[in-house]
Amino acid sequence: MRRIPTVSRKSWEHSLVNGALIVVCILAMLPIATTVLISFKRQEDITRKPPVIFPCDTSTQSFDASACRWAVEGYQRVLAPKPSETSPLGFALTGNMFRIYVPNTLLYATTSSLLVVLLAGMSGYAFSRYRFRGRGALMTGILAITGVPLLTNLLALYQMGVTLRKAHLPFYDDRIFIVTVYIGFFLPLSVWIAKGFFDAIPRELEEAALIDGCSPIGALMRIIMPLAMPGMAAVFLLTFVNVWNEFIAGYLLIARNDHKPVMFGLYEFLGQNIINLQVIAAACILIALPIVILFLFTRRTFFKAMVEGAVKG
Amino acid sequence: MQRSLPHRRGRRNFLPFWLILPTLVVLFAIQVYPALYTVWLSVQQREPSGWIFVGLKNFARLRNLSQFGESIGHTIIFLVGFTSLTMIAGFFVALLLNRNVRLSGFYITLLFIPWTIADLLAGMVFRLLVVPDYGLLSGILQNPAIFPPNGLSVLTAVPPRPWLGSFPFPPAPALVYLVLAATWRALPFVTLLLLAAMQTVPQEIIESSRIDGANGRQVIRHILVPLMLPTMVVALFSLTLSGMNGVGMIFSLTGGGPGSSTELLSYMLYVIGWNQLNFGRAAALALMIAVVNWLLISGTLRVTRLEEKSR
Repeated sequence: MRRIPTVSRKSWEHSLVNGALIVVCILAMLPIATTVLISFKRQEDITRKPPVIFPCDTSTQSFDASACRWAVEGYQRVLAPKPSETSPLGFALTGNMFRIYVPNTLLYATTSSLLVVLLAGMSGYAFSRYRFRGRGALMTGILAITGVPLLTNLLALYQMGVTLRKAHLPFYDDRIFIVTVYIGFFLPLSVWIAKGFFDAIPRELEEAALIDGCSPIGALMRIIMPLAMPGMAAVFLLTFVNVWNEFIAGYLLIARNDHKPVMFGLYEFLGQNIINLQVIAAACILIALPIVILFLFTRRTFFKAMVEGAVKG
Repeated sequence: MQRSLPHRRGRRNFLPFWLILPTLVVLFAIQVYPALYTVWLSVQQREPSGWIFVGLKNFARLRNLSQFGESIGHTIIFLVGFTSLTMIAGFFVALLLNRNVRLSGFYITLLFIPWTIADLLAGMVFRLLVVPDYGLLSGILQNPAIFPPNGLSVLTAVPPRPWLGSFPFPPAPALVYLVLAATWRALPFVTLLLLAAMQTVPQEIIESSRIDGANGRQVIRHILVPLMLPTMVVALFSLTLSGMNGVGMIFSLTGGGPGSSTELLSYMLYVIGWNQLNFGRAAALALMIAVVNWLLISGTLRVTRLEEKSR
């Protein structure tokens, strides 16, 4: 017979689990913490040999908290604020990162997420509510495409981009192309997430509205859409983060530098700042922070979408 | 068995087709057509006069490249290291979180931050630690007393001499860093997936096996792992897929170097396509990667189907 666990053994076990989890969390946070640390260093502390972890040593002591040399030089060089008469804040951010790349990415991420929500909402609803010929085949097809990564299609997409650019279509530029590419790649997963959320809404609600004389579109707009809002928000957030974090397509498929997205900006920084590690670190923090904050505020939605998506794709 | 909506009784309803049509158009233009285009590209070669048909020459040339075999070796080492490390670590973190300690919500939130960070950014974050001479840890890593004979440095170290013929093992330090960085970023995803599967294992089964005298390791080995197997396979395939095709981290952490010691197939595709501007040969490589991708995807589909049926 096994001994029944006593209270003291249980609490001992709990603190062991807690301790292990704290170690895991520290390990997970360590690379971020070191990046924050580096971003606040000065150039002369970055290029010292051998490197010091904390820039807090003096000629007499190896660590003196009052002598720490922290600086925001890295952030200044990323943002490059210059006084400006026209800007309402009295200064303008003249660094390429916040003048060109961040606005570009905001534009791409917002447009592609909104369009993905619209398209995934429409087809997710159709797959959830209607039984029609070819439904199973189409769903399997979309499910199969869900896992296909961008990489292997990039060569063909690049050639398509070149052809379209040469065609001199009115109002066309690479920005339309890249948004379409992002939609095409993040849509299949979103269709599945949307379908899952629609499946969870009871059909009876809709049928009651139809019996009461509501049109199918009216029922969709008045009954289903408000209930599906959390799901649509999850699709929007997931696509937004995916587009924000995407590098290789934005790097290769956009010809003009002033149309390139934020990850290209970071990659450019890496080439320009071989030894100015504090500048790279500051750029990393500034670009990761909005997404991390977004995640912290919306983590429930995120996890839901992620589990839903992972089970399918 | 599905009750039909009252309004479409009797006549055919075209609404679902119109609702799905835009999605199908976009998916055809961005996913299906480029895939077919890649097949066409793989048997073409760019000449000043235009594209000419060369049959399977691109594939033959690719196979004869010495870097190709080497790159397959690097990719295998990377994938084995990355997937096994992530799966094992993910399983144990999920096991810890499954104990439902009081702060587990807080731990989950903290642990998942790396997952929201872009792969390019994750590579940069790790690069800041190991850049030769200036990286935060380079003082320790480059110390010959700790890592004989010359210390380890990511971007300048000479790749080690292989043990097994031309198979690039042991890997260069840079490849080890790549594995660590990729694991750091993918761990939250796997942990969440495994935790979700673990929570569906009925507590009664575990308790009754405990009463029958099973110890912790036996419970994991004979109850948790078999019941979680479908999810584990899905996680493993999805990790392999992302490791096979994720290229951003290589760009920012190593740039394929030193030498070609971190040039995985995905990065080689970029080098052949955009550095050497040989699109035909790159398309041949893309097709080979796509075949592996398809095997993984259809494997995932099979597993999820089986799981759905068994419910």
